[in-house]
Parts: sequence; structure tokens; C-alpha cells
Amino acid sequence: MSRIGVFVCWCGSNIASTVDVEKVREEAAKIPGVVSAVDYKYMCSDPGQNSLRNVIKEKNLTGVVLAACSPHMHENTFRKAAVKEGLNPYFVEIANIREQVSWVHEDKERATAKAVDLMKMMVEKVKRDKPIEDVRVPLNKKALVIGGGISGIQAALDIANGGVEVILVEKEPSIGGRMIQLDETFPTLDCSSCIMTPKMVEANQHPNIKLYTYSEIEDVSGYIGNFKVKIKKKARSVVEKDCTGCGECWNACPMHKNVKSEFNLNLSERTAIYVPFPQAVPLVPVLDRSVCLHFKKGGKCQKCFDACGPKCIDFSMQDEIIEETVGAIVAATGYDLMETSMYGEYGYGKYKDVVSGLQFERLLSASGPTEGVIKRPSDGKTPQTIVFVQCVGSRDPEKGVPYCSKVCCMYTAKHAKLFAHKVHGSQSYVFYIDIRSTSKGYEEFVRGTMEQDGAVYLRGRVSKIYEDNGKLIVKGADTLSGNQVEIAADMVVLATGVIPKKGSDKLAQMLGISYDKYGFLTESHPKLRPAESSTAGIYLAGMAQGPRDIPESVVSGSAAASKILGLFSKSEYEVEGTISSVNEATCVACFYCQRVCAYNAITRKEIKDRSGNVVKVVASVNPGLCTGCGACVNACFSKSIDVKGFMDDQIYAEIKSLAV
Amino acid sequence: MANTKTDEKLQKIAKDLLESGEVNLIIGYTKGSNPQRMRPVFITKPEEVVKLTFSSNAVQDLAVFLKKQEVKKYGKIGITVKGCDEKAVNALIQEYQLSRDNIKIIGMQCNGVIKQSLADKGETKVSETTVYDKCLICQEHTPVLYDFLVETEEPELSISGNVKPYAEIEKLEAMSAEEKNAYWAKEFDKCIKCYACRQACPLCFCSRCIVEKNMPQWIDTNSEEPGNAQWNLIRAYHLSGRCIGCGECERACPVNIPLMLINEKMARDVYNLFGYKSGLDINAKPVFGVFSENDFNDFIK
Repeated sequence: MSRIGVFVCWCGSNIASTVDVEKVREEAAKIPGVVSAVDYKYMCSDPGQNSLRNVIKEKNLTGVVLAACSPHMHENTFRKAAVKEGLNPYFVEIANIREQVSWVHEDKERATAKAVDLMKMMVEKVKRDKPIEDVRVPLNKKALVIGGGISGIQAALDIANGGVEVILVEKEPSIGGRMIQLDETFPTLDCSSCIMTPKMVEANQHPNIKLYTYSEIEDVSGYIGNFKVKIKKKARSVVEKDCTGCGECWNACPMHKNVKSEFNLNLSERTAIYVPFPQAVPLVPVLDRSVCLHFKKGGKCQKCFDACGPKCIDFSMQDEIIEETVGAIVAATGYDLMETSMYGEYGYGKYKDVVSGLQFERLLSASGPTEGVIKRPSDGKTPQTIVFVQCVGSRDPEKGVPYCSKVCCMYTAKHAKLFAHKVHGSQSYVFYIDIRSTSKGYEEFVRGTMEQDGAVYLRGRVSKIYEDNGKLIVKGADTLSGNQVEIAADMVVLATGVIPKKGSDKLAQMLGISYDKYGFLTESHPKLRPAESSTAGIYLAGMAQGPRDIPESVVSGSAAASKILGLFSKSEYEVEGTISSVNEATCVACFYCQRVCAYNAITRKEIKDRSGNVVKVVASVNPGLCTGCGACVNACFSKSIDVKGFMDDQIYAEIKSLAV
Repeated sequence: MANTKTDEKLQKIAKDLLESGEVNLIIGYTKGSNPQRMRPVFITKPEEVVKLTFSSNAVQDLAVFLKKQEVKKYGKIGITVKGCDEKAVNALIQEYQLSRDNIKIIGMQCNGVIKQSLADKGETKVSETTVYDKCLICQEHTPVLYDFLVETEEPELSISGNVKPYAEIEKLEAMSAEEKNAYWAKEFDKCIKCYACRQACPLCFCSRCIVEKNMPQWIDTNSEEPGNAQWNLIRAYHLSGRCIGCGECERACPVNIPLMLINEKMARDVYNLFGYKSGLDINAKPVFGVFSENDFNDFIK
């Protein structure tokens, strides 16, 4: 016989001002099986919880209903209190009379009637609750980090330093990501590669980190604690373990000046066998087969092979698939810059001296194509006047994206500052919409660019850029003075907006994590769970989540790492027991459940007789993957699948309790 | 009566299949109790294939037997199917109820089957006034999938357009919700819950039907409202996007509920909304088993 206790919470005046809590309590007391009904000002407070525990003990309750706030808020609080009195935690049900009643209704009488109904439904549900045990999933204590940029490297290092094995996978021939392309970093102007390379080297040499560069994720299956990952190691044509990085091969390569360097954003050339930049990690070249003469001309050219001392060039190398099992994954796939083709009026691509912000970084960089001397691409002359255009693509819902790319205000200020430092007597102009400089030392930095380094900031947009007599004429508006301005510049730098890395949506689909309409990976909760993806065991870091600067990327990498180390500190992972279960007697194996399951949690199970013959095939639920969403329950024609804690008979009883 | 060429060819295929051991059982049609009626026949011995026949009186959808345990135990099976019935075979393969490797499909070209009510009165001619509505909208006079094809000797069905198949659907679509409710309340009132519709349906393959689930009992089992509407509507939903339109439920119904109006309307809606027709491709994913970003979502207001 059920012995149910109903506890009606006032939530101060949050509930009590719109719902007649005493009436709800009185109605509860009338329901058969309810042995105790009380109302209290704050059930979640210590005295509230104590009264709950006392009633459970004194009345020997078999189930508890709280008419209170959303289960998201305090279900766990009350479950824990009930567990202390020896009750199974799933014998606690919440009737949400705050978010679903008092906060959304005004008429007290009708709100009270609805609150009574919700409470009644939960009483009928709790009567039919069965004890549920949480599911324990074993953990493979190894992590996969996808993306070898600063956030990925940070995550990998932190996990590895915590004593856990890490597999770091990078698509490009070297780790380093976008940060290694930058010159100096705001607001302290320390050299990016000087602070980045030690981290890259540390990641490469760390005994707990296994590094796969020039590799991509081919497939991911499984669930938290037990992800099966297939990594495609693309044919590098160079045997990594034998290569010394001496450079004889790329010096011997006849394909000079023929191939644009991706790393230098087409501002310089590279050979067919190449390292993207001198500090590459690992310092092992990649042979680009799409341009290599050996592959294009039927094997005749093998100058690199001849030049190589340790003979580590292998033209016959094949792509290799490596399989790994990991317990957790960090997705740190980074970003790309937006195309600017929609801004034809800026002449990017048409005029050589209109460059993107990242190209300008390469022109500033000591390891860049001009060895740190600012030279304009058209004729190699040092520019005296540069116009910087902010928000190219960002904050432009019409042509670009509505969001702010966050880093452009700061890097443009940095560009103008470095330009002033490197070219004395030069002048820069910055067209901006607003200046966003909100982190530590940022506002002072921008002020310094304006006041000490003499950059002229013009609030307004550029309408047209055209070439005239060797100069780029920039026409724009200065909305503060209300004048049209026209500047004859030697170079124009466009602060192009940030977009997710190409292909990150495909990866997200493979991982089963969600992404927003722009393709940025979305957090489980934007405020309270910023490091977690929507799927258990998969964490996020860096610009893959949205525009952010270097310190934020580092923090997010560390956050993901700490989540994984926390997860791995336990021997098993506990999953809520409210997951699907199959009635094998009635299942006819049509597998609609499998088709609709977003979590790949349904598998085929063969039921065999004693001699091993398959007598029946049925659906089976993988507890590690099932989230208890209930999609399978809806899909099942024969009602052979149910979610524990939300069983068919409970739902039916809830509905029936409303029938008068 | 001498065998027609169709029958000879059919019998030869069946005999070869049984003799070679490629199948253990052939499901086909044989002559019934009167010349205008056919009944199913199950043949396991090569010498019995003479019983097999086919004509415009082969009304029943034999795919219904594929769901039966008594048939399944034979393992490899050969089946005689018209184009409409063959779609049921495809749908069963799509829904993992049948393995393509275990079935040999003897596809029968068909230009329409004569309504049994007319055939019983002596009608022998296939014409747009004598065949079922499903034949008038049929796109699969030649089955979409088969291992063997037996060509028809019947002349092509000529359609003038004067006979409107499922004409009631347009009338129903024009009705108000109240009128539609009244129409169906009257029809469902006749239901005696014999479940003949379910038994005749090749795609009602659940071993325990939802109506038989009694903890809790979602559908009232007495033959009265609201249980009658519950049953017929839930069955319609369970077949939406799946029904291949063989019409067996309506033909089996002893109280003449126009079930095909529901099924055909559902099929049309599914096609209009999702571009999907059931049973045309064994590799297609059933429409309600897939989520597509392009799915319509106008209903979210």
C-alpha cells in the first residue's frame, strides 16, 4: 500500500502569491494513499529538507511529491534528502507549480486548479514508481584531443600532466594552429611564436601525449568512457621516425616558387616537399602529392629522395587508419576567416595591397615572407599610410554574420601600433563601428594606439576602395564629424570576421554533438556548462565554440582538461537510471527505435537457445549512450520499449488522474 | 481447363525453384470454390506446381503470409505477387521483417483485378468500372522488384478518367472538422473489433498488437466508442507512411468501413509533405524513421 507524502512549497511569495498553497495541500490530503500533506515557505531550505526527512521517517513514506519549482532546480536536493532516509532517489517526484504555474499565470483560482492537477498527476505517478539503480559505465582512461591549436595543446598538456594518456590529432602537417601564424599578441605584445613554440615542443615530447599530425578523424562511435575512434593518418611520404628535419629534401625540390604557401596565406611560395614554417612540430616535411613532379610526371623526379641522408622519403606510403579507444574527447577545431568576396567594393583579391588581418600578421612576423619588414605585396615597398577596416563581415547581418568576432578590435589596434613602431613617421587610419576592448589591459592598449601611436580612429564604414596612381583611395564616412572622408593609402587591411573551421559541422555530426546555425559547437549550457558539449564525455575548447581571444582559448582548453581529469578520477561513470528498456518478449525487431535514436543507443541483440541457434532478434539499449529522451518509445508500434521512471502505466495513470 | 501461357510460365518457375532447392515453399494462387474466386496455396513439392494459376481474379495480397511463423519456418520462400503486393514485400524488407536473401519474388504483371463483388456476379472483364480503385491509380503494373517476371496476357487497362478513384477523399477534404467527425463516427460505429483489418494487413506484423497491451489498456476493446475510433485511428497512424495500398483491410472488413479512404489520404499527405512513397525501394529508410533538416515544420507556430 502506498504511503505518499505531499510537500507544497510557497517559494516565498514566488508560488504562494499566485497559487493557493493551502488549497493544494488540502486537496492532496484527500487523495487515497496520501498519508501526509504539508506546506512550507521554503522546502529547499535546511529546515524544509529536515521536515521532509522527518515525515519520511515518522510516516514511513513510500513516495514523496514536491509541489515546488522546476526539477532542474531542486530535484537533486530532495532526492538526496530522501536517500538519507533510505528511500530510492527515484521515489521523489516534482510537480512544477512555479515555472509551469505561478510564473506564467495570473488568475489565482485557475492557477490553483492547475497546481492541484499537476500535484495529483505526480501522486499517481509516484505510486507506480519502481526503484531504479543508476547505471555504472567503465571508463577507458585515455583522452582524444581534436585540434592542435593553442586550446587543443593546452587541453592535451593539462590532461597529460594529470597523468592521463592523450591522443592529439591535428589536420595540418604541424601543430600550432592559428596562434603560431600571429606576430605579437595583444595587449602585452609578446611574440606569439616565442610563447607558443615551447608549448608545441612540450606537447610533442610529453610522455603521455601521442601526436598525430597530418591526420583526420575518420569515424567516432561509442559513448562516454568507451569511444572508438578511427584516425586517418594521411600519407606524408616521409617516415617520421627517421627524419631529422635537416631540410636537404626541400632544398633539393625543383618546385620552387610554384606553390603558394598556405601558412603564409599565399604571400609566399613553398616547395612540393615542405614544412609549413621553420618551427614546425614535428619538424618533418610533408610531400604534397598534388603538385609533386614525382607523382605528376610518372616517377621521374626523385631529387628529394636522392638528397635525403637517412632515406626516409617513401613515395609508396599509403594513408593509414589507426584505431584508438578513449574515454573522453575534446573538440578544439578552431576557426577560419570569412571570405570577403561579398564586399566587392573593398577590392580584396582585385588589388594586391588590400590584405586580410591574418595576412598582415604574416607581413609583421619575423618568420613571415618579408622577415618582419612590412612590405606591400604589389611592389615590395614599405607603406607609409595604411587604412584598417574593422567589422568586415562581422556585425553585418545583411552580407556577413550578425555576431561580433571579438578579436578584431584588438588585433587592429595591435596592427596599427606595430605599424607605427616599425615604420616611423607612418600614419594609420582605423574605420570602426564600436570599439570592444573589455578584458584586462585591453582598453589601455587601444587608447595607447590612438594617443601614443597616433592612429586616427574614424567611426564609420568604408563605402569604396579603388586604385588611383599607385595609391588605394579609401572613401568612407566619419559619422562623428558627419563628413565624408577620402584617404590615399598605400595598403588596406581588412579585419575579416571569424567563422568555424571548415568541416567542423561534419565532425560535430560524427561526434553527435550540436552546433549553432553558424556552425559553432554549442555548449551543454551556455553559462553553467560552458566546457561540455551536448553529449556526455565530449568537451569543447577554443574558437570552435565561437569567437574568443588567446587567454580565453587557453582557459577553455584547461577547463575541458579539468572536466576530463575529474571524470577520470572515478573508477566508473554513473549514468542516471532513467533510460530505455526493451520488452524482449514483444519486440519484433523492426528497429524504428534504432532509426530515431539520436544517440546510437540501440543495437541488435540475438537471443539464442541452449544449442546456440538464434531464436529471436530484438532491440537492445546501450546504457552508456541512452539519455532517456524517449524518442524510441514514440516510435515503437507495439509499445515494447519504455523509459524507466516514465513507464507507460505511469503516464496512463497521470492522464487518468485528470479525468473527472 | 487448359493452362494459359501465364500459368505455364509461372508453374515452370515454381517447379525450377523447388527442384533446385532454392526455395522450400511457394506461396501462390490456385482456383477457388467457384471460377471467379481464387484462394492461396502453399506448395512444397515440385509436382504440385500445377495447382498454381494467376488471373485478374487474384485479388488477395499474399505477402500477408510472410509475417506468419508457420511460413517463416520454411526459411527460403518463393512468392507470387502483383505489383501492389510486391510493395509489401519491399516494406517488410525495409523494416527488417524479411531478408532479401530469403525471398524469391515471382512478379506477376497485372492490369488490374476485378472487384470480388462483381466477379461473384459473373463479371470477367477488366475495365475501369470493374477493377478496384487501387488499380486505377496503380503505377506498378509491373512490380518494381522481382527475381522472375511473368508477363500478362491481359489487354492494358484503359482509363478514361470518368471513374474517379477514392472520390470520397476530395469530399471529405472539403468538409469541416465537425462534418468529418460525424462521417467517421458513423463509420466507426459499425466496427465490431474483429481485427480482420489487422489480420489481412501484410504490414501489421507486431506479435503483440498495441490493442492487446492491457497494462495499461490504451485502447478500449469493447466495440463501442471511444474504443472504435481509438482502434481505427491508431491503426491508421501506425500505417501512415508504411501502407502500400493493397486494400486488403477494407476488403476484409465485414462491416464495410471505407478504410482505404484513410490509408490513401495518409499516403497522399505523406507524399506531399515528405516526397515518400512506401514500398518502392528496399534500401530507402522508412519515412517516419528518419529526421531531415528539410522536413517541413510549418506546424511550429
